[in-house]
Amino acid sequence: MEERNVIGVYHLTKKYGDQYALKDVNLQVGNGEFVFLVGPSGAGKSTLLRLIYMDEFPTDGQVVAGSFVSTTVDRKKIPYLRRKIGVIFQDFKLLEDRDVFENVAIAMRVTGEKSYEIKKLVIHILTQVGLYHKRNDLPRKLSGGEQQRVAIARAIVNRPAILLADEPTGNLDPDVTEEILRLLFRINSGGTAVLMATHNLSLVENFGQRIVHLKDGIIHEDRLTGLGGNPSDKLSEYRWNRKRLDKQETTGELR
Amino acid sequence: MSVHQLLYLIKESFRTIKRHKGVTAISIIIMSLTLLILAVFLLVTDNMLMFMSQAREEMRIYVYLEDSLDRSVIEDYHRRILSMLEVEQVVFISKEEALLEFREELGEESDLLDALDTNPLPASFRIALKSAYKDKNKIELFASKVGGLEGVEEVRYGKDFLEKFSTIMKGFLYVDAFIGIVVILSTIFIISNAVRLSVVSRKRSIEILKLVGATNRFITTPFIFEGALQGGIASFIAMAMLFFIFLVGVKFLPELSFFSPEKAFAFILLCVLIGSAGSFTALRRFLRA
Ligand SMILES: Nc1ncnc2c1ncn2[C@@H]1O[C@H](COP(=O)(O)OP(=O)(O)OP(=O)(O)O)[C@@H](O)[C@H]1O
Ligand SMILES: [Mg+2]
Repeated sequence: MEERNVIGVYHLTKKYGDQYALKDVNLQVGNGEFVFLVGPSGAGKSTLLRLIYMDEFPTDGQVVAGSFVSTTVDRKKIPYLRRKIGVIFQDFKLLEDRDVFENVAIAMRVTGEKSYEIKKLVIHILTQVGLYHKRNDLPRKLSGGEQQRVAIARAIVNRPAILLADEPTGNLDPDVTEEILRLLFRINSGGTAVLMATHNLSLVENFGQRIVHLKDGIIHEDRLTGLGGNPSDKLSEYRWNRKRLDKQETTGELR
Repeated sequence: MSVHQLLYLIKESFRTIKRHKGVTAISIIIMSLTLLILAVFLLVTDNMLMFMSQAREEMRIYVYLEDSLDRSVIEDYHRRILSMLEVEQVVFISKEEALLEFREELGEESDLLDALDTNPLPASFRIALKSAYKDKNKIELFASKVGGLEGVEEVRYGKDFLEKFSTIMKGFLYVDAFIGIVVILSTIFIISNAVRLSVVSRKRSIEILKLVGATNRFITTPFIFEGALQGGIASFIAMAMLFFIFLVGVKFLPELSFFSPEKAFAFILLCVLIGSAGSFTALRRFLRA
């Protein structure tokens, strides 16, 4: 059982001062699974993800990510963990002084990969996220959705077994949101386990995926919505529903 | 670290310098001024040491001989002195040669000597000691040995001067070493802070690099290259400024000399090292925090 989980969180507690950010959280994510982590602002979603990629360490309990265990990990080995986990940060965290290509390439540079291998793969990934034509632009010249896609490209370029996405559809309009979700589902169908944090339950509850509800640092619910299945089909459904709702709002037709 | 990575990081450090021209320029200016102080100190020290070693080099012991000594005895003494352990070189100066030298020293006033009907100057040996024996106590010992020879009138080696000289030299070396330590430590401190300026300005980038799996070595290497490069550039500027100061100084003190090319090169190398050490310590503090 253990081996099939790529993320294991056991009795995890995180305190800042005497304030609990997470309280006795238990969560396992299986190999290739897609999990939405849903909760309001301040629920502890980002904190949980930070603990998984070991930017921070538990006050109590344990986190296992791949073969790295929070209680025993050698801090010098943490860079190697980061290469196995792709992270899409809530605030993108792009290097402002480097172009799109370099922002993606950097995740491979740190591993010591050969330049032509880097070039080949980065071009491939940029094409995949539809940003090849913007490869020489600086991040500040990109729209929010494009920056988000750069962040995604960087997170997946090392083909990680785990992808952590912190509010990847945060400030994006519905079309771009859909695009990003489509991308994440596609990455997931390639075998990468995805844990996506969002505050927007209505956005994600109809994809038939597992949803973990987090509030005030406590997991309130962990359930599989609908019947599972291929989330991409549900995406079309989502689009159809959205169009209908938009119409309702604009024309008041079905009121 | 792979070769690709090293090449990338070297290129990267040049690129960062270009990207952060402002911060780089400021830290190079701070470094140049700091290194100028270091360079002035080193040049003064260098000149003092050269002056001292020259004074030591030119030190001679004069052994004056009584007029009554036989030629053969003088030749015997010459051989005996030459075979002594301490002696580098012995020159015999006859009464006639001594007079000739004196005449030359007097120059135009040498007419005065024409009034004399006998030569009042004694014959002498002029002895240069090996540098290992140019120590106050050893010279005294040597002088008393030679002075004990039959028919030696006097041994002269500037006893007073030698005593003063050696205390002054000792004092100078202590003060100089103290100032040197202070100057070098403050140089490292100031440079390390100048580098920290550029580290702090790139705090966000460093954090992102850590988050995408960069090791500390990957992060520090470009900074160390940059520190080395900045140290090198700043030391060139400091050298150039020092040279202008030297050109002014040499008008007042013509004995002053500039660094030899070897020493100038060593200085630049030292600054390259100080630059990279400054970067390294600045980053260490930062990465630990
Ligand atoms: N470094 C920190 N120091 C102190 N408190 C913190 C820190 N990081 C998070 N917190 C607190 O922990 C709680 C959870 O924060 P977290 O950022 O994980 O929430 P979130 O679910 O990601 O919210 P959002 O949807 O707004 O991003 C909050 O109350 C927050 O103030
Ligand atoms: Mg958050």
